[in-house]
Amino acid sequence: MDIQSYIASGKLELFLLGELTEREREEVLALAKTHPEIQRELDDLEETMFSFDEKMGVAPSPKVKEKIFASLEESFKKEEPDFVKPAPVEAKVVKLSPWKNFAIAASLVAVLASAAAIYFAGKFYDTEERFTALLQDQQVMADNLNQVKLEFEETDSRLDRLVSGDFKRVQMIGETLPMQKDAKVDVFWDQSAQEVFVAVNNLNSLSAEFDYQLWAIGKDGPVGIGLVNPGEKFTLQQMQAVAEAGAFAITIEPKGGSKAPNLEKLVVLGETA
Amino acid sequence: MQEDEIIAGLRARDRKTTEYLYEKYSRALFAVIARIISDSDIAEEVFHDSFLKITKKIDSYDESKGRLYTWMANICRNASIDKLRSKEISQSTKTNTIDDFVYGLESNSGTMEQVEAIGVKELMNQLNEDQRFIIEYIYFKGYTHSEVSEEFEIPLGTVKSRVRASLQVLKKNIDRI
Repeated sequence: MDIQSYIASGKLELFLLGELTEREREEVLALAKTHPEIQRELDDLEETMFSFDEKMGVAPSPKVKEKIFASLEESFKKEEPDFVKPAPVEAKVVKLSPWKNFAIAASLVAVLASAAAIYFAGKFYDTEERFTALLQDQQVMADNLNQVKLEFEETDSRLDRLVSGDFKRVQMIGETLPMQKDAKVDVFWDQSAQEVFVAVNNLNSLSAEFDYQLWAIGKDGPVGIGLVNPGEKFTLQQMQAVAEAGAFAITIEPKGGSKAPNLEKLVVLGETA
Repeated sequence: MQEDEIIAGLRARDRKTTEYLYEKYSRALFAVIARIISDSDIAEEVFHDSFLKITKKIDSYDESKGRLYTWMANICRNASIDKLRSKEISQSTKTNTIDDFVYGLESNSGTMEQVEAIGVKELMNQLNEDQRFIIEYIYFKGYTHSEVSEEFEIPLGTVKSRVRASLQVLKKNIDRI
Protein backbone atom coordinates (compact mmCIF):
# COMPACT_ATOMS: atom_id res chain seq x y z
CA MET A 1 0.00 0.00 0.00
CA ASP A 2 1.24 3.44 -0.90
CA ILE A 3 1.08 5.25 2.41
CA GLN A 4 1.94 8.64 1.00
CA SER A 5 -0.89 8.64 -1.50
CA TYR A 6 -3.24 7.34 1.18
CA ILE A 7 -2.30 10.31 3.33
CA ALA A 8 -2.59 12.65 0.34
CA SER A 9 -6.10 11.41 -0.48
CA GLY A 10 -7.61 13.60 2.22
CA LYS A 11 -9.19 10.68 4.04
CA LEU A 12 -7.48 11.49 7.32
CA GLU A 13 -8.92 15.02 7.30
CA LEU A 14 -12.39 13.60 6.82
CA PHE A 15 -11.72 11.12 9.61
CA LEU A 16 -11.05 14.03 11.95
CA LEU A 17 -14.11 15.91 10.73
CA GLY A 18 -16.18 12.84 11.60
CA GLU A 19 -17.34 12.37 8.03
CA LEU A 20 -16.25 8.82 7.31
CA THR A 21 -18.50 5.78 7.41
CA GLU A 22 -17.96 3.27 10.21
CA ARG A 23 -16.14 0.93 7.81
CA GLU A 24 -13.79 3.67 6.60
CA ARG A 25 -13.11 4.75 10.18
CA GLU A 26 -12.09 1.22 11.10
CA GLU A 27 -9.78 1.17 8.11
CA VAL A 28 -8.07 4.42 9.14
CA LEU A 29 -7.71 3.20 12.73
CA ALA A 30 -6.25 -0.12 11.63
CA LEU A 31 -3.78 1.56 9.27
CA ALA A 32 -2.78 4.09 11.93
CA LYS A 33 -1.87 1.17 14.19
CA THR A 34 0.36 -0.51 11.64
CA HIS A 35 1.80 2.62 10.00
CA PRO A 36 3.34 5.18 12.34
CA GLU A 37 3.40 7.75 9.50
CA ILE A 38 -0.36 7.69 9.42
CA GLN A 39 -0.66 8.04 13.19
CA ARG A 40 1.81 10.92 13.08
CA GLU A 41 -0.12 12.64 10.30
CA LEU A 42 -3.35 12.24 12.27
CA ASP A 43 -1.74 13.75 15.36
CA ASP A 44 -0.34 16.64 13.31
CA LEU A 45 -3.67 17.34 11.68
CA GLU A 46 -5.50 17.24 14.96
CA GLU A 47 -2.99 19.65 16.41
CA THR A 48 -3.52 21.96 13.41
CA MET A 49 -7.29 21.81 13.75
CA PHE A 50 -7.04 22.50 17.46
CA SER A 51 -4.78 25.54 17.02
CA PHE A 52 -6.88 26.79 14.14
CA ASP A 53 -9.97 26.55 16.34
CA GLU A 54 -8.23 28.01 19.35
CA LYS A 55 -6.65 30.94 17.56
CA MET A 56 -9.82 31.81 15.74
CA GLY A 57 -11.98 31.69 18.76
CA VAL A 58 -13.30 34.10 21.26
CA ALA A 59 -13.85 32.66 24.70
CA PRO A 60 -17.50 32.10 25.53
CA SER A 61 -18.83 34.57 28.06
CA PRO A 62 -18.21 33.92 31.78
CA LYS A 63 -21.98 33.57 32.19
CA VAL A 64 -21.95 30.38 30.15
CA LYS A 65 -19.19 28.94 32.27
CA GLU A 66 -21.17 29.72 35.40
CA LYS A 67 -24.26 28.09 33.98
CA ILE A 68 -22.36 25.00 32.90
CA PHE A 69 -20.75 24.48 36.27
CA ALA A 70 -24.02 25.14 38.06
CA SER A 71 -25.61 22.38 35.96
CA LEU A 72 -22.69 20.07 36.67
CA GLU A 73 -22.62 20.75 40.41
CA GLU A 74 -24.87 17.78 41.19
CA SER A 75 -22.80 15.32 39.24
CA PHE A 76 -19.43 16.15 40.74
CA LYS A 77 -18.11 13.62 43.15
CA LYS A 78 -18.21 14.99 46.64
CA GLU A 79 -14.81 15.20 48.19
CA GLU A 80 -14.82 12.61 50.90
CA PRO A 81 -13.83 13.65 54.37
CA ASP A 82 -10.52 12.21 55.51
CA PHE A 83 -10.78 8.93 57.26
CA VAL A 84 -10.27 9.09 61.06
CA LYS A 85 -7.86 11.92 61.36
CA PRO A 86 -5.56 11.11 64.20
CA ALA A 87 -5.93 13.70 66.90
CA PRO A 88 -3.16 16.26 66.60
CA VAL A 89 -0.65 15.25 69.13
CA GLU A 90 1.37 18.21 70.13
CA ALA A 91 3.13 16.62 72.98
CA LYS A 92 5.78 19.12 73.84
CA VAL A 93 7.49 16.78 76.12
CA VAL A 94 10.14 18.08 78.36
CA LYS A 95 13.13 15.86 78.01
CA LEU A 96 13.10 13.43 80.85
CA SER A 97 14.86 10.19 81.00
CA PRO A 98 14.50 8.13 77.76
CA TRP A 99 12.21 5.39 79.15
CA LYS A 100 9.64 8.07 79.90
CA ASN A 101 9.54 8.96 76.22
CA PHE A 102 8.87 5.38 75.39
CA ALA A 103 6.20 5.18 78.03
CA ILE A 104 4.51 8.29 76.66
CA ALA A 105 4.74 7.00 73.10
CA ALA A 106 3.41 3.62 74.16
CA SER A 107 0.49 5.09 76.04
CA LEU A 108 -0.32 7.37 73.12
CA VAL A 109 -0.32 4.37 70.83
CA ALA A 110 -2.52 2.53 73.30
CA VAL A 111 -4.98 5.43 73.48
CA LEU A 112 -5.10 5.77 69.69
CA ALA A 113 -5.47 2.04 69.26
CA SER A 114 -8.35 1.89 71.75
CA ALA A 115 -10.00 4.86 70.10
CA ALA A 116 -9.70 3.14 66.74
CA ALA A 117 -10.97 -0.12 68.20
CA ILE A 118 -14.03 1.60 69.67
CA TYR A 119 -14.62 3.43 66.44
CA PHE A 120 -14.43 0.29 64.32
CA ALA A 121 -16.50 -1.73 66.79
CA GLY A 122 -19.19 0.95 66.51
CA LYS A 123 -18.98 0.82 62.73
CA PHE A 124 -19.15 -2.96 62.80
CA TYR A 125 -22.32 -3.10 64.90
CA ASP A 126 -23.86 -0.39 62.83
CA THR A 127 -23.12 -2.23 59.64
CA GLU A 128 -24.33 -5.53 61.06
CA GLU A 129 -27.58 -3.96 62.15
CA ARG A 130 -28.15 -2.51 58.72
CA PHE A 131 -27.24 -5.83 57.16
CA THR A 132 -29.81 -7.65 59.30
CA ALA A 133 -32.43 -5.08 58.42
CA LEU A 134 -31.64 -5.57 54.75
CA LEU A 135 -31.92 -9.35 55.10
CA GLN A 136 -35.34 -8.93 56.68
CA ASP A 137 -36.46 -6.61 53.95
CA GLN A 138 -35.28 -9.07 51.41
CA GLN A 139 -37.19 -11.91 53.09
CA VAL A 140 -40.37 -9.83 53.11
CA MET A 141 -39.92 -9.05 49.46
CA ALA A 142 -39.32 -12.67 48.60
CA ASP A 143 -42.51 -13.65 50.48
CA ASN A 144 -44.47 -10.99 48.67
CA LEU A 145 -43.11 -12.15 45.39
CA ASN A 146 -44.09 -15.74 46.13
CA GLN A 147 -47.58 -14.70 47.02
CA VAL A 148 -47.93 -12.62 43.89
CA LYS A 149 -46.62 -15.56 41.89
CA LEU A 150 -49.19 -17.91 43.42
CA GLU A 151 -51.99 -15.46 42.77
CA PHE A 152 -50.83 -14.98 39.26
CA GLU A 153 -50.68 -18.71 38.58
CA GLU A 154 -54.13 -19.19 40.04
CA THR A 155 -55.54 -16.37 37.92
CA ASP A 156 -53.74 -17.67 34.90
CA SER A 157 -55.13 -21.19 35.25
CA ARG A 158 -58.64 -19.84 35.79
CA LEU A 159 -58.30 -17.71 32.71
CA ASP A 160 -57.08 -20.75 30.78
CA ARG A 161 -60.10 -22.74 31.83
CA LEU A 162 -62.42 -19.85 31.07
CA VAL A 163 -61.00 -19.38 27.61
CA SER A 164 -60.77 -23.07 26.70
CA GLY A 165 -64.11 -24.16 28.24
CA ASP A 166 -67.60 -23.75 26.90
CA PHE A 167 -68.79 -21.21 29.42
CA LYS A 168 -72.14 -19.60 29.51
CA ARG A 169 -72.63 -16.35 31.31
CA VAL A 170 -75.65 -16.08 33.59
CA GLN A 171 -76.35 -12.63 34.94
CA MET A 172 -77.89 -12.53 38.38
CA ILE A 173 -79.40 -9.22 39.42
CA GLY A 174 -81.19 -7.90 42.45
CA GLU A 175 -83.39 -5.38 40.70
CA THR A 176 -86.70 -7.26 41.09
CA LEU A 177 -85.90 -8.38 44.62
CA PRO A 178 -86.34 -6.39 47.82
CA MET A 179 -82.89 -6.94 49.35
CA GLN A 180 -80.26 -5.08 47.25
CA LYS A 181 -81.59 -3.38 44.13
CA ASP A 182 -78.17 -2.69 42.65
CA ALA A 183 -76.63 -6.09 43.39
CA LYS A 184 -75.06 -7.76 40.35
CA VAL A 185 -73.20 -11.06 40.18
CA ASP A 186 -72.30 -13.10 37.10
CA VAL A 187 -72.16 -16.86 37.00
CA PHE A 188 -69.95 -18.55 34.40
CA TRP A 189 -71.11 -22.07 33.88
CA ASP A 190 -69.66 -24.80 31.71
CA GLN A 191 -72.42 -27.34 31.72
CA SER A 192 -70.53 -30.14 29.97
CA ALA A 193 -67.45 -29.81 32.18
CA GLN A 194 -69.64 -29.12 35.21
CA GLU A 195 -67.69 -26.08 36.29
CA VAL A 196 -69.03 -22.93 37.87
CA PHE A 197 -67.35 -19.60 38.61
CA VAL A 198 -68.87 -16.46 40.01
CA ALA A 199 -67.65 -12.91 39.50
CA VAL A 200 -68.98 -10.29 41.89
CA ASN A 201 -69.82 -7.03 40.18
CA ASN A 202 -71.63 -5.36 43.01
CA LEU A 203 -72.59 -6.88 46.34
CA ASN A 204 -72.81 -5.23 49.77
CA SER A 205 -70.49 -6.50 52.45
CA LEU A 206 -71.97 -8.52 55.31
CA SER A 207 -71.41 -8.55 59.04
CA ALA A 208 -69.28 -11.37 60.39
CA GLU A 209 -72.10 -13.74 61.27
CA PHE A 210 -73.52 -14.01 57.72
CA ASP A 211 -72.34 -15.36 54.38
CA TYR A 212 -73.59 -15.16 50.82
CA GLN A 213 -74.43 -18.61 49.47
CA LEU A 214 -74.80 -19.55 45.82
CA TRP A 215 -77.60 -21.92 44.84
CA ALA A 216 -78.10 -23.88 41.65
CA ILE A 217 -81.83 -24.40 41.20
CA GLY A 218 -82.60 -27.53 39.19
CA LYS A 219 -85.35 -30.14 39.02
CA ASP A 220 -84.62 -31.35 42.53
CA GLY A 221 -84.83 -27.86 44.03
CA PRO A 222 -81.98 -25.59 45.14
CA VAL A 223 -78.53 -27.06 45.85
CA GLY A 224 -75.95 -24.98 47.72
CA ILE A 225 -72.79 -24.89 45.65
CA GLY A 226 -70.53 -22.60 47.66
CA LEU A 227 -70.06 -19.35 49.52
CA VAL A 228 -69.44 -16.11 47.64
CA ASN A 229 -66.98 -13.56 48.96
CA PRO A 230 -68.44 -10.08 48.27
CA GLY A 231 -65.05 -8.39 48.75
CA GLU A 232 -63.34 -10.08 45.79
CA LYS A 233 -64.85 -8.03 43.02
CA PHE A 234 -64.33 -8.80 39.35
CA THR A 235 -62.30 -11.91 40.04
CA LEU A 236 -63.43 -15.45 39.37
CA GLN A 237 -64.38 -17.49 42.41
CA GLN A 238 -64.69 -21.18 41.77
CA MET A 239 -67.85 -22.93 43.03
CA GLN A 240 -68.84 -26.57 43.28
CA ALA A 241 -69.71 -28.55 40.19
CA VAL A 242 -73.21 -28.58 38.84
CA ALA A 243 -74.56 -30.29 35.74
CA GLU A 244 -78.13 -29.24 35.88
CA ALA A 245 -79.63 -25.84 36.69
CA GLY A 246 -82.51 -23.74 35.47
CA ALA A 247 -81.43 -20.75 37.51
CA PHE A 248 -78.76 -19.52 39.91
CA ALA A 249 -79.43 -17.44 43.01
CA ILE A 250 -77.65 -16.02 46.02
CA THR A 251 -79.15 -15.77 49.50
CA ILE A 252 -77.84 -14.49 52.80
CA GLU A 253 -77.31 -17.36 55.22
CA PRO A 254 -75.82 -17.73 58.68
CA LYS A 255 -72.04 -18.06 58.66
CA GLY A 256 -70.90 -21.22 56.85
CA GLY A 257 -74.04 -21.56 54.74
CA SER A 258 -77.24 -23.60 55.13
CA LYS A 259 -78.67 -26.85 53.74
CA ALA A 260 -81.70 -25.06 52.30
CA PRO A 261 -81.96 -21.45 51.21
CA ASN A 262 -83.67 -18.76 53.23
CA LEU A 263 -85.79 -17.38 50.42
CA GLU A 264 -86.73 -14.30 52.41
CA LYS A 265 -83.14 -13.21 52.02
CA LEU A 266 -82.82 -13.78 48.29
CA VAL A 267 -80.38 -11.18 46.99
CA VAL A 268 -79.91 -11.91 43.29
CA LEU A 269 -81.45 -14.32 40.81
CA GLY A 270 -80.65 -15.22 37.21
CA GLU A 271 -82.16 -17.80 34.88
CA THR A 272 -79.93 -19.90 32.66
CA ALA A 273 -82.18 -19.88 29.65
CA MET B 1 -2.42 17.24 32.57
CA GLN B 2 -2.06 14.38 30.10
CA GLU B 3 -4.99 13.35 27.93
CA ASP B 4 -5.47 10.04 29.77
CA GLU B 5 -5.48 11.85 33.12
CA ILE B 6 -8.14 14.24 31.84
CA ILE B 7 -10.27 11.35 30.62
CA ALA B 8 -9.91 9.47 33.90
CA GLY B 9 -10.72 12.62 35.88
CA LEU B 10 -13.81 13.32 33.82
CA ARG B 11 -15.01 9.77 34.26
CA ALA B 12 -14.57 10.13 38.01
CA ARG B 13 -16.72 13.30 37.83
CA ASP B 14 -13.86 15.29 39.30
CA ARG B 15 -14.48 19.01 39.47
CA LYS B 16 -10.88 20.12 39.06
CA THR B 17 -10.42 18.08 35.92
CA THR B 18 -13.63 19.49 34.48
CA GLU B 19 -12.40 23.00 35.18
CA TYR B 20 -9.08 22.18 33.56
CA LEU B 21 -10.89 20.84 30.50
CA TYR B 22 -12.92 24.01 30.30
CA GLU B 23 -9.87 26.27 30.56
CA LYS B 24 -7.93 24.32 27.98
CA TYR B 25 -10.61 23.66 25.39
CA SER B 26 -13.58 26.02 25.77
CA ARG B 27 -12.11 28.62 23.43
CA ALA B 28 -11.43 26.18 20.60
CA LEU B 29 -14.71 24.30 21.03
CA PHE B 30 -16.67 27.50 21.14
CA ALA B 31 -14.92 28.56 17.92
CA VAL B 32 -16.12 25.38 16.23
CA ILE B 33 -19.67 26.41 17.10
CA ALA B 34 -19.42 30.17 16.63
CA ARG B 35 -17.99 29.72 13.14
CA ILE B 36 -21.15 27.95 12.10
CA ILE B 37 -23.72 29.84 14.17
CA SER B 38 -23.42 33.58 13.88
CA ASP B 39 -25.97 34.49 16.56
CA SER B 40 -23.84 34.59 19.70
CA ASP B 41 -26.70 33.78 22.09
CA ILE B 42 -27.63 30.68 20.18
CA ALA B 43 -23.95 29.74 19.80
CA GLU B 44 -23.50 29.96 23.56
CA GLU B 45 -26.59 27.87 24.12
CA VAL B 46 -25.24 25.18 21.79
CA PHE B 47 -21.87 25.37 23.54
CA HIS B 48 -23.52 24.95 26.93
CA ASP B 49 -25.43 21.87 25.79
CA SER B 50 -22.42 20.40 24.02
CA PHE B 51 -20.15 20.80 27.01
CA LEU B 52 -22.66 19.07 29.27
CA LYS B 53 -23.00 16.35 26.67
CA ILE B 54 -19.23 15.87 26.65
CA THR B 55 -19.10 15.42 30.42
CA LYS B 56 -22.05 13.03 30.30
CA LYS B 57 -20.91 10.95 27.37
CA ILE B 58 -17.29 10.66 28.45
CA ASP B 59 -18.05 7.14 29.68
CA SER B 60 -18.87 6.01 26.18
CA TYR B 61 -15.88 7.78 24.60
CA ASP B 62 -13.48 5.17 23.21
CA GLU B 63 -9.84 6.30 23.24
CA SER B 64 -8.92 3.76 20.59
CA LYS B 65 -11.27 5.42 18.09
CA GLY B 66 -9.67 8.86 18.07
CA ARG B 67 -8.21 11.58 20.23
CA LEU B 68 -10.17 13.51 22.84
CA TYR B 69 -10.18 16.87 21.09
CA THR B 70 -11.43 15.40 17.84
CA TRP B 71 -14.22 13.63 19.67
CA MET B 72 -15.25 16.80 21.50
CA ALA B 73 -14.97 19.00 18.40
CA ASN B 74 -17.21 16.60 16.49
CA ILE B 75 -19.84 16.72 19.22
CA CYS B 76 -19.80 20.53 18.98
CA ARG B 77 -19.77 20.52 15.19
CA ASN B 78 -22.67 18.08 14.94
CA ALA B 79 -24.69 19.99 17.52
CA SER B 80 -24.12 23.21 15.58
CA ILE B 81 -25.14 21.66 12.29
CA ASP B 82 -28.26 20.20 13.90
CA LYS B 83 -29.12 23.60 15.34
CA LEU B 84 -28.42 25.37 12.06
CA ARG B 85 -30.84 23.07 10.29
CA SER B 86 -33.52 23.25 12.96
CA LYS B 87 -36.57 25.40 12.37
CA GLU B 88 -35.86 27.97 15.03
CA ILE B 89 -32.75 29.22 13.33
CA SER B 90 -33.20 28.84 9.60
CA GLN B 91 -35.51 31.79 9.11
CA SER B 92 -33.95 34.23 11.50
CA THR B 93 -30.25 33.89 10.76
CA LYS B 94 -28.39 33.47 7.57
CA THR B 95 -25.42 31.15 7.45
CA ASN B 96 -22.02 32.42 8.32
CA THR B 97 -19.20 33.33 5.97
CA ILE B 98 -15.54 33.90 6.72
CA ASP B 99 -16.03 37.63 6.19
CA ASP B 100 -18.95 37.79 8.60
CA PHE B 101 -16.90 35.95 11.16
CA VAL B 102 -13.89 38.22 10.81
CA TYR B 103 -16.18 41.22 10.86
CA GLY B 104 -17.70 39.86 14.07
CA LEU B 105 -14.27 39.60 15.62
CA GLU B 106 -13.29 43.09 14.45
CA SER B 107 -16.39 44.72 15.79
CA ASN B 108 -15.83 43.10 19.15
CA SER B 109 -14.60 45.68 21.58
CA GLY B 110 -11.69 43.72 23.08
CA THR B 111 -8.19 44.45 21.80
CA MET B 112 -7.38 40.76 21.90
CA GLU B 113 -10.16 40.01 19.45
CA GLN B 114 -9.09 42.81 17.17
CA VAL B 115 -5.57 41.46 17.03
CA GLU B 116 -6.93 38.02 16.30
CA ALA B 117 -9.23 39.30 13.61
CA ILE B 118 -6.18 40.60 11.77
CA GLY B 119 -4.43 37.26 12.23
CA VAL B 120 -7.39 35.27 11.00
CA LYS B 121 -7.78 37.58 8.03
CA GLU B 122 -4.13 37.09 7.12
CA LEU B 123 -4.40 33.37 7.58
CA MET B 124 -7.40 33.23 5.28
CA ASN B 125 -5.53 35.30 2.72
CA GLN B 126 -2.97 32.53 2.48
CA LEU B 127 -5.62 30.29 0.94
CA ASN B 128 -6.29 30.35 -2.77
CA GLU B 129 -9.81 30.80 -4.04
CA ASP B 130 -10.68 27.08 -4.15
CA GLN B 131 -9.28 26.47 -0.71
CA ARG B 132 -11.04 29.46 0.76
CA PHE B 133 -14.27 28.20 -0.73
CA ILE B 134 -13.81 24.76 0.82
CA ILE B 135 -12.93 26.16 4.26
CA GLU B 136 -15.88 28.50 4.11
CA TYR B 137 -18.38 25.77 3.33
CA ILE B 138 -17.00 23.10 5.61
CA TYR B 139 -15.93 25.17 8.58
CA PHE B 140 -18.28 28.16 8.44
CA LYS B 141 -21.42 26.87 6.82
CA GLY B 142 -21.36 23.40 8.34
CA TYR B 143 -21.47 21.47 5.07
CA THR B 144 -20.20 17.93 4.85
CA HIS B 145 -17.76 17.19 2.04
CA SER B 146 -20.36 15.15 0.18
CA GLU B 147 -22.85 18.04 0.39
CA VAL B 148 -20.28 20.39 -1.11
CA SER B 149 -19.63 17.84 -3.84
CA GLU B 150 -23.31 17.46 -4.67
CA GLU B 151 -24.35 21.06 -4.46
CA PHE B 152 -21.49 22.51 -6.50
CA GLU B 153 -20.91 19.49 -8.70
CA ILE B 154 -17.31 19.08 -7.67
CA PRO B 155 -16.10 15.46 -7.72
CA LEU B 156 -15.73 13.95 -4.23
CA GLY B 157 -12.04 13.23 -4.76
CA THR B 158 -11.43 16.89 -5.62
CA VAL B 159 -13.29 18.05 -2.51
CA LYS B 160 -11.17 15.70 -0.41
CA SER B 161 -7.89 16.85 -1.85
CA ARG B 162 -8.91 20.50 -1.48
CA VAL B 163 -9.78 19.92 2.17
CA ARG B 164 -6.34 18.43 2.59
CA ALA B 165 -4.59 21.24 0.71
CA SER B 166 -6.42 23.89 2.76
CA LEU B 167 -5.43 22.29 6.02
CA GLN B 168 -1.83 22.07 4.87
CA VAL B 169 -1.85 25.81 4.25
CA LEU B 170 -3.38 26.43 7.66
CA LYS B 171 -0.83 24.12 9.27
CA LYS B 172 2.06 25.97 7.68
CA ASN B 173 0.79 29.39 8.70
CA ILE B 174 -1.00 28.77 11.96
CA ASP B 175 1.98 29.56 14.15
CA ARG B 176 2.31 33.03 12.70
CA ILE B 177 -0.87 34.29 14.30
